[in-house]
Amino acid sequence: MTTDDTNGPLHGLKVVEHARGVAAAYAGRLLAAMGAEVVMVEPPEGTPLRREPPFLDTEEEWSALFTYLAAGKDSVVADLASASGHATLTALLDAADIFIDDTPLAERDALRLGAATLAAAHPRLIHTSVLPFGATGPKAGWAGEEINLIHASGEGYLLPNGLTADLFPDRPPLKIAGHFAEMQGGVTAVFAVLSALWAGGGAGATGGGRTVDVSVQDANVAIGAFAVQRYGDGSIEHRHERKFRYGGVIECADGYVELLTLEERQWDGLVELMGRPAWASDPAMASAAARSAAGETINAHIRAFAAGERAADLVARAQRLGVPMAPYNTPDGVLADPHVAARGLFAPVDVPGVGALPIQAAPFRFGPAPLAAPHGPPELGAATSRLAATAIAAADARKVTA
Amino acid sequence: MRPLEGIRIADFTVHAAGPFSTHMLAMMGAECIKIETALRPDIFRKPHTVYGRAGAATFDQVSAGKLSVRLNLKTAEGILLAKRLVAVSDVAAESFRAGVMERLGLGYDALKAVKNDIVMVSISSSGQTGPDSHFAGYAPLFGAWGGLGFMSGYPDGPPLEMRHVMDHSVGMNAAAATVAALHQRRRTGRGAHVDVAAREVASSLIGEAMMAAAAGVEPARLGNDDHRRAPHGVYATVEADRWLTVSVGSQAEWHGLLSVIGRTDLLRAPQYETGADRHANREALGRLVAAWAATQEAGAAAEALQRAGVPAHVSVTASEIAADPHMRARGAIVDVTETGGTVRAAVGRPARFSSADAPAFARGTPGLGEHEDYVYGELLGLGRAAIDDLVARQIIH
Repeated sequence: MTTDDTNGPLHGLKVVEHARGVAAAYAGRLLAAMGAEVVMVEPPEGTPLRREPPFLDTEEEWSALFTYLAAGKDSVVADLASASGHATLTALLDAADIFIDDTPLAERDALRLGAATLAAAHPRLIHTSVLPFGATGPKAGWAGEEINLIHASGEGYLLPNGLTADLFPDRPPLKIAGHFAEMQGGVTAVFAVLSALWAGGGAGATGGGRTVDVSVQDANVAIGAFAVQRYGDGSIEHRHERKFRYGGVIECADGYVELLTLEERQWDGLVELMGRPAWASDPAMASAAARSAAGETINAHIRAFAAGERAADLVARAQRLGVPMAPYNTPDGVLADPHVAARGLFAPVDVPGVGALPIQAAPFRFGPAPLAAPHGPPELGAATSRLAATAIAAADARKVTA
Repeated sequence: MRPLEGIRIADFTVHAAGPFSTHMLAMMGAECIKIETALRPDIFRKPHTVYGRAGAATFDQVSAGKLSVRLNLKTAEGILLAKRLVAVSDVAAESFRAGVMERLGLGYDALKAVKNDIVMVSISSSGQTGPDSHFAGYAPLFGAWGGLGFMSGYPDGPPLEMRHVMDHSVGMNAAAATVAALHQRRRTGRGAHVDVAAREVASSLIGEAMMAAAAGVEPARLGNDDHRRAPHGVYATVEADRWLTVSVGSQAEWHGLLSVIGRTDLLRAPQYETGADRHANREALGRLVAAWAATQEAGAAAEALQRAGVPAHVSVTASEIAADPHMRARGAIVDVTETGGTVRAAVGRPARFSSADAPAFARGTPGLGEHEDYVYGELLGLGRAAIDDLVARQIIH
């Protein structure tokens, strides 16, 4: 299944990616999903992402994270500290529209990856730097992993909230699962570089030499914009107070659901869902303000009611009544969800030696059908002879004719 | 010049995810026309208990920089005007429940009929197709549906509730997809109907866990742990409720940590020799770092660790971000002047460009209908009398 454009919206776009971290690799991954040709330039030992657990096979050859991030890309090995490796990268960049790089600033000059060097050598290239704290500013040289970055952006301090914070008020703040903050950096990099490319006239246009400086911290402060806005309004949030008056994470007989009613008709639906209990028709519950004040009492009733319900059944009934409720799905639960299946959200991708596994091509689509499933993750250097040799030959030909 | 100057957006979005996506596009230079009605003003124009606001917002981050027009979409003439707006736009963005735009007569086919290459962007909880497409949802529900909420939390606790970063993450994806669709239009001449489902954004953020689960790896809720790195966590410092984050992966980082915490005696300790050893003994290591951190001032500790090459950062609050010299030097935090003259901090550009560094904020929160003379007059060519008549008959309302 593909969109009406069988090649993806970014067909024809050439991207070279040099990534050791999730943010830059996720940017390349989304561009590949949209039809761009993305080549990973890896060191001889491979990108460190190949070694991130857990693994999909007992031989520990295929990291789940790397597989997800590298699907749809090609791999070329080049030791950038060597003359031949540099020549390979140069040749690939000569033919590319976009270069995504997360080499730490301190290492860039030695590898001839500085912004000015790249702009001079590749005037039509958009150089996209993706770093934890960006390429400029007092902290540009700082290192940052996921747990540092979610806390450098303000959201970490506000987690956990709701039921988890109620249950464990004395524990340290908590990160979101996986690589949430780093992936925001990747999505933001895609948005930024596609915008820069738009200004340059599109794929194939000349006259650019532009640098895009993406900071994972900036990206996460942007998506956390309400925190800064609320601060300007004179209110500082705290994880212990950041909770809905009633609703939130509710335990059922076989799992958890999320319940959030913001509008009057949704409250009416909730009362209906619970079978019109006497306490809910008490005049003291008539106004939104009164219910807000009685939140804990209401939640005790909701919890008692939900404890005997099955999550899937309760959500189905709630949504029929217009009550916003969703099940806390496990990954297996997501994969088995009939709606997910109807949307064709996951498609099989072949992982060498492991077999076909479901992969989500992208979190957006450009018509009724999903984007085409990416091809499986590349073996280290699988395209070195094909792409590097071709690129170097083309570069040599240009030199001869110049 | 900002990169998306020349792009015009007819913005029908409401709530959080949609307005954030068009806000991002506006920050890049797109002209965004926010279409509202006095019958149901946007949430920032009225008190909102969820955001803890007792009155109308004096400044709204995601509305700043947009143009505002009133338009009553409950009238046939209002729908015709909406189509005329779309006809002079490149992008039409909306975030109603799936099916609402069709019922209004503003579905993709209808918009395509007035602007053949329109890029329509629909942002919803569950997508434009499928059995759940009509479901209502908010940020915490998206995280729940997509598996992100289940995977987050303490190993011995319940799932974690996602808040507005979930919405805005959806918006950032939508903004990226919108520009991709514009590139497709430039290349092929064809528009597109971009479909962004919030719950699918949530699942995309744990795509590796989905693949692992399908391969038979039991999904683990790690809390603050990492699959490989140790020590790895959030540590209390000598200051109340002020936390230090530390992540150690490589040998160099391990050695850097030992030098900063004054425990180079552990350089040869067999139980911590390799990354695998440290991960296996991460509980003991965590206690070691916690004991040190408890005597430290968080900011100084983070700087000392960074000097030694160890990824570390304070868990910062919004007030610290607003004042942060690094963020301000990057233009990621800027000062804006509200109507009335108050200066406040706001989130600035999401990325820096070497050749497009114009200020991100051209204007603050627009008054309801503030730009109708420009939009209805200049863009659509309506005369004063025609506009006044439409206002009188509550079409522009």
